[in-house]
Amino acid sequence: MRLGRYELTLEQRPPLPAIYAALVAVLAILLALVLASFLFMSGESSVLSAYRAIFSYAFLNPHGLLATVQRSIYLLFCTFAFLVPVRAGLWNIGLPGQVYAGALGAFAVPLLLGAQEAQALALPPWLLIALMVAAAALAGAAIGGVAGLLRARLEVNEILVTMMLNSILFWVVSYMIKEGGPFMGATAEGESFRLIASLQAPLLRGVPFTAALALGAAVLLDLLFAKTALGYRIRAFGENPTAARYGGISRMTISLLVFLLGGAFAGLAGYHTFAAIPGVYKIPGNYGFYGDLAFYGIISALIARGSALGAVPIAILFAGLSLGARFAQGALRLPFGIDYALLGLLMMTFVASHVLYRFRLAWRRVQPAALRPGPAGLPEG
Amino acid sequence: MHADRAPSEPILATRGITKRYPGVLALDRVDFEVQAGEIHAVLGQNGAGKTTLMNILFGLVQPDEGVLSLRGREVRFRSPHDAIAQGIGKVHQTRRLVAAHTVLENIVLGHPRVRGWLNLRGARREVADLCARYGFAVDLGARVWQLSEGERQWVEILKALYGGARILILDEPTAVLTPPEVQTLLAGLSAIVRDQGVTVLLVTHKLPIVMAISDGVTVFRSGRVVARLRTADATEEILVQHMVGRDFALRAADRSTGAGRPVLEVEQLSAFNDRGVLALRGVSFALREGEVLGVAGVSGNGQEELAQVLAGLRPAASGTVRFDGRDATRASPLARWQMGIGYVPAERTEVGTIAAFSLVENTALNYHFDPEYTPRGLLDDAGLHKLTGRIVSGYNVKAPHTSAQAQHLSGGNLQKLILGRVLSRRPRLLIAHLPTQGLDVEAAAFVRAKLLEARAEGSALLLISEDLDEILSLSDWVAPMYEGQFVAVLPRETADAETVGAMMAGVHQTQGGVR
Repeated sequence: MRLGRYELTLEQRPPLPAIYAALVAVLAILLALVLASFLFMSGESSVLSAYRAIFSYAFLNPHGLLATVQRSIYLLFCTFAFLVPVRAGLWNIGLPGQVYAGALGAFAVPLLLGAQEAQALALPPWLLIALMVAAAALAGAAIGGVAGLLRARLEVNEILVTMMLNSILFWVVSYMIKEGGPFMGATAEGESFRLIASLQAPLLRGVPFTAALALGAAVLLDLLFAKTALGYRIRAFGENPTAARYGGISRMTISLLVFLLGGAFAGLAGYHTFAAIPGVYKIPGNYGFYGDLAFYGIISALIARGSALGAVPIAILFAGLSLGARFAQGALRLPFGIDYALLGLLMMTFVASHVLYRFRLAWRRVQPAALRPGPAGLPEG
Repeated sequence: MHADRAPSEPILATRGITKRYPGVLALDRVDFEVQAGEIHAVLGQNGAGKTTLMNILFGLVQPDEGVLSLRGREVRFRSPHDAIAQGIGKVHQTRRLVAAHTVLENIVLGHPRVRGWLNLRGARREVADLCARYGFAVDLGARVWQLSEGERQWVEILKALYGGARILILDEPTAVLTPPEVQTLLAGLSAIVRDQGVTVLLVTHKLPIVMAISDGVTVFRSGRVVARLRTADATEEILVQHMVGRDFALRAADRSTGAGRPVLEVEQLSAFNDRGVLALRGVSFALREGEVLGVAGVSGNGQEELAQVLAGLRPAASGTVRFDGRDATRASPLARWQMGIGYVPAERTEVGTIAAFSLVENTALNYHFDPEYTPRGLLDDAGLHKLTGRIVSGYNVKAPHTSAQAQHLSGGNLQKLILGRVLSRRPRLLIAHLPTQGLDVEAAAFVRAKLLEARAEGSALLLISEDLDEILSLSDWVAPMYEGQFVAVLPRETADAETVGAMMAGVHQTQGGVR
């Protein structure tokens, strides 16, 4: 763009120190909040009170804070489920399906072991809980593995396979929990049976142990990619599959492995949401809502640029804002869908900030069209 | 010292062009000018800055400092669109044609007149005229994937001319051509310049081509212009001195063959290429420790497939490969690295390195499976750093530091990095495919010396090259390759350039070449 003697251009920046990445992210959040205030203006209360309602519910109100934590754990698992395959250049769009599979896996354990009633426990509860966690991870991994296997063996596009599996798993869950389905609850109202108290995940100050699993996984994942030979192989494959193959890295192994691992994380997300959050402990009729929520894991993994620990604050932010905005919408009678709009704006500013992180706008003076005399001091033959 | 300048204004000139990449000064205050209607050669080693300057002239890269002027007026190219609009056309080192489209469709693609409505009939007549004028006969309806490299190059040139180019930039146009194709190209370029008054900028590092065709020459070294001459006043010796900055002599191979143990035994090996055609058709040979087998052939005669099958990257359709007496026909690439087979691929940026990875991480590409560098499954960062440092200094890799990304290195430096990395594993067998292609004289001599060092240490070497002089100076055995087969496997003593050259060209078969 040219304005008089000056022009505005977009140029690539030299790499910036990591601290700027955090700074840019904060600016992106502030910008999204400013933009969203235009939406809040249509409400009856002031913009400031709307934000106060959102943030105080999400991060200060004891109930809201607990809900934020629960939801962040869920989003974190979903983030990892996308993050591991994407480091290998593969896109796991099958988070909802793998979450559903994890839920079914978890609830299959008490069902198969006849532990639906307290007096019928054949095994100690802690062992059953461990089995439920393992079954959830395995079920998610199995569904993810289908995509990995098809990709590795037959080069079938993993995005298509995982999307189709989402649909299949959605209806499988529906069949399982419907009236007369194997997982049917006592009330037969399109929900699964409820976990008995001794099989509900142990809590510490209202937070289930899955929080420790999620944070531990974040540390381990970052170590995996930074320090280990396996992490190196996954990254090399993601950057340049041909060169990776030349270097002796097996396409089959990597494709399958990242989808198994990613699926397992999504399975854990399913376990966490349906078997560990107080007040749920069943697969509810609106399980599809949680499936849709899983897609925020994709956004948070992309914004964190493959860093699992970097995704923690982003997942917390998404969780808090989605809950806070939903609360504020009800409390202040804001327009319907204001929570989704806020998250959408946030995504857009994050994406835009990425462009500005890598490129910069530069004002340049257009040089006057005069040439200095020719060069001198060089051999001329 | 100012010699008399031609009275005409330069058609294209730069003043004080500087371009920095992170850690690399690619161009340092470059003053450059080209007279209208000449063929101007741009000469220099790899990484001398030739390609960067051409990218700036074509608007692909923006200079950090300095100005461009075209026909005496200052210009600024924000993108190749601006350059094309000003009559500058570029023929790319890597072809950018749509392989599935016809020649004609490729030529008119992106032409300013073709907006919305495609008048192929009118275009066909104009393009056919152009072809007739330069003695280039190609079926305009042919699909581009069916064409030879030489023909594709012509399509690119015609595309640029049809788009109205008055200044043509050709970046290493002869790199992939056979000798007859080179002749056709050079003759055609001369005709274009003579008849059309087009100006040609020819980037190359091949001295005979500079001497044969150019009117003026600018020599680059380390991002600077070091000489600017009329070709008539230059000799090959003078140009080499400017390019290299000192005198040098190509070292002849020290040849002392001792019969070692057989390392590689290949029998009746065949393989399909990516299009499902049997490209490697029953090749047999044996290679001993400390021996070099030179496979000589024009590219596309099955060499790529041979190298890939031996490296485990392409399945063998039939035949056997024995390594150290054990069957290795079906071994995975990883197993082959572990057995002691090293492979230096022809494609340095697509296959040999990972652009966004640091040099250290690129070294790890050949070490991520090595227990010594991966204790308990962890990458030994310190060890890899040290190893990379040794490779960088031992192989004269010009890089700011070992944490620099591979994408900031020139092709020649990447090649030295790959070679150093593979040889540091002390492979029992080294497969080197086009190890010196695109390298300047000095780097090529260095790479050859390193190959001979490896041979002296007892490695068996399979050298696949299109450079006959290279094959003859390094090999103990010479295998001319033609249409997927070894025409013969000759001891070096009985192989002379004429015999091998004739076998490579498949003289006993029908005469090939471009029209």
